[in-house]
Amino acid sequence: MAEIQISVGSTVALPKTGLEKLLANLLQTGYRVLGPQIQDGAIVCKPLKSTAELPKGYISEQDSGFYRLVYSGHRRFFDATPGAQSWKQFFFPAFSELAGFTRDDHGHWQVEETETDLTPLALFGVFPCDLAAIQVQDHIFLREEWKDPIYWARRQSAFILAVDCLHPCGTGFCASMGTGPKANPGFDIRLTELEDVFLVEIGSEAGRLVMEGISVLPTSAFWLQAAQKGLEDASAKMGRSLPDQQELPDLLLNNLDAQQWDDVARRCMSCSSCTQVCPTCFCWDARDSIPLNGQTARRERVWDSCFNPDYSYIVGGNSRPNTRSRYRQWLTHKFGSWYAQFGTSGCIGCGRCITWCPAKIDVTAELQAIREEVQS
Amino acid sequence: MTTEQELVKALQAIPWFQVMTTEHFKKMVNIAKIFKFEPGQVIFHEGDKEDYLYVVLEGRVAIEISVPGRGRMRILTADAMDEVGWSSVTPVVRQRTAGARAVLPSRLVAFDASELRKLCDEDHDFGYFVMRRLVNVVAGRLMTTRLQLLDMFANPTDYKEE
Amino acid sequence: MIQTLGKPHAISPSEPMQPFWAEIVEIVREAPGVSTFWLQFLNKNLREGFHFKAGQFNMLMVPGLGEVAISISSDMEESHRIGHTIRSAGNVTSTINRMDVGDVMGVRGPFGSWWALDDCVGKDIVIAAGGIGLPPIRPVLYYVMHHRHDFGKVIVLYGARTPNDLQFTREYKSWQDAGIELQVTVDRGDDSWDGRVGVVPILFYNTRLDPRNTVILTCGPEIMIRFVIFEALARRVPPERIFVSLERNLKCGLGSCGHCQVGPFFVCKDGPVFSFDKLQPYVNVEEF
Repeated sequence: MAEIQISVGSTVALPKTGLEKLLANLLQTGYRVLGPQIQDGAIVCKPLKSTAELPKGYISEQDSGFYRLVYSGHRRFFDATPGAQSWKQFFFPAFSELAGFTRDDHGHWQVEETETDLTPLALFGVFPCDLAAIQVQDHIFLREEWKDPIYWARRQSAFILAVDCLHPCGTGFCASMGTGPKANPGFDIRLTELEDVFLVEIGSEAGRLVMEGISVLPTSAFWLQAAQKGLEDASAKMGRSLPDQQELPDLLLNNLDAQQWDDVARRCMSCSSCTQVCPTCFCWDARDSIPLNGQTARRERVWDSCFNPDYSYIVGGNSRPNTRSRYRQWLTHKFGSWYAQFGTSGCIGCGRCITWCPAKIDVTAELQAIREEVQS
Repeated sequence: MTTEQELVKALQAIPWFQVMTTEHFKKMVNIAKIFKFEPGQVIFHEGDKEDYLYVVLEGRVAIEISVPGRGRMRILTADAMDEVGWSSVTPVVRQRTAGARAVLPSRLVAFDASELRKLCDEDHDFGYFVMRRLVNVVAGRLMTTRLQLLDMFANPTDYKEE
Repeated sequence: MIQTLGKPHAISPSEPMQPFWAEIVEIVREAPGVSTFWLQFLNKNLREGFHFKAGQFNMLMVPGLGEVAISISSDMEESHRIGHTIRSAGNVTSTINRMDVGDVMGVRGPFGSWWALDDCVGKDIVIAAGGIGLPPIRPVLYYVMHHRHDFGKVIVLYGARTPNDLQFTREYKSWQDAGIELQVTVDRGDDSWDGRVGVVPILFYNTRLDPRNTVILTCGPEIMIRFVIFEALARRVPPERIFVSLERNLKCGLGSCGHCQVGPFFVCKDGPVFSFDKLQPYVNVEEF
């Protein structure tokens, strides 16, 4: 076969057997490869050593407060859409050390070097929504005035292998948010999984390098059309939609006294599940600790949630003392204030909050209800 | 004894008198008297039935209420151009609900309240003008009282639940 | 992006989460439970290199216990030591209030937006402050004293709960001598207090101001601020010229941890000083 020129921006076809070689190349380059695997009946993101560990043959069925992994026996690797976890936990870990202190010989406090694992990560199987989520978080943790050290170090060296979503999850509305079902630019490699091949789009130099030594085929019109159709079908099959999402900031911030807030407050348990599964939520708390001998001290950063009662503590009380005000804060921030703060919506339409809410609250339905209340 | 000249000069310094018609101004002069008080001197006691509306010209007057066990509580001060004893003009209250005492050397103009009430009844334009001014005074006092009630400066730890 | 009044300037822009050690060189008891802690960086370069603007705050840290956001209350032009006026309210502040001269704590900062003094040149300034809201204003007063002729009338309307709670009483005369008009009131007085008894907003009643040329700066309990703004708006001062310092749960100082949000604003970096026109849409929404 003639040598196929792989360059940044080009698309080639990869036989299914080539995926293992792609993974092997990443491992050999020194990446810690993380990929979707099944654990306790759900998809989690874990270190990946072989494509045999991928959830081949599985699909996930998701609805409000409902998640099931079902083995359907098909031969595709990436049909099962994401579970509760997202890639946020690797760039913005749930627990990390902000600072450590030790007393020196004179009893004075000194700042200790904090150690962070900086092994380059390869994210193997990033769905378009989750790629968009990473890009949303980039705006938060990598700013002109400062960059979060852990996020910066890990993000810079990370390799992203994105996969298009041809079998929408059911609760997602990425099409409405412009984040899927096709992965937007920002990947190193983008895979579109067809029946017998992957279409591989090279997104960067790193992506090009990792394809070295892998046998590829030229793309064919047939495959390109199949991919196109698959993506169009996926767009049409979205389980949820959120029309006119750019209008939400005005709608929400001008209607902070809508009845709907009381309505949702009756159902919401303030359990904070939505914020835990959301791939863009970024709030955190600092926890200080000191052992009894008082010779060392630690500051730890932990994920926090605006649903936590202590979150809105101000001296003398709580500025958001009930579920109604907290739910309102979350929704108006995610779909409204975020725009003013970071220039994008805070939501990328993955649907996790809908799937994992024990009270079956659906943000698309809540937003629609507010819209209807305001228009009437 | 206050001279008419002294009265006119004093009343002309009070902002809301400056926008009064000459006729109304004259009516007020007729029912006015000027009093001087030394620091510590009582102007009126709680429970007094005397019937004057005062405007402070100079100095400072403290409004006080005696609380058994806690003594004299100073709840408000009135400075130059502030009114004291607005309740004398309202139809219902006749007895002083608080006492007033000079804190600094003070000069006050006192208006005979029963005469003032009669003037308001006879001339409704005049009455409306006076009542409008007094409503503003009462509104200001109410806001002050509410903020004092809310104890906005209290250290929040005083309110922490057990 | 929200336009802040100015970019915050941290000591070390690449490591704003790292504290730098500073020693307590003097403690001044201002009122029951309130003291000003004068800090001096152990590192000589930091001592000379630290600059802040009136209205900004530092995060003060007690290792193992936590951090607290404290407005800087000293003169911007005073080099080498920085004043923080602290009231005991929680664990960290109570611990700091038990510290002694010579003790060391961690400092991160300065953070936040500042009082727009450059916009006040040629104008009258009316400052309405209450209780522990005066310390964040004090750097403004020092600045005014150093540059008195830049400004028109400068009036301070200040109140506290009782005469004992009035801050910086020893300095009142020097402010008045510098041409700053001072009106003081307390919520509750007693026989030993000859001054006013009332609340800060009513001090506006006897204040003549020209709404076309006045800037209002206000800092104190939020309810007092609300009524001060009411009086200012009633006197036709435009919302863009009313500046407010808000207090929220300030934890990181960077607009990263999310706790201090009020609508789209991060109080730690878009504030704590805001012009009121920015806050108007949210200020009357309960529990927002």
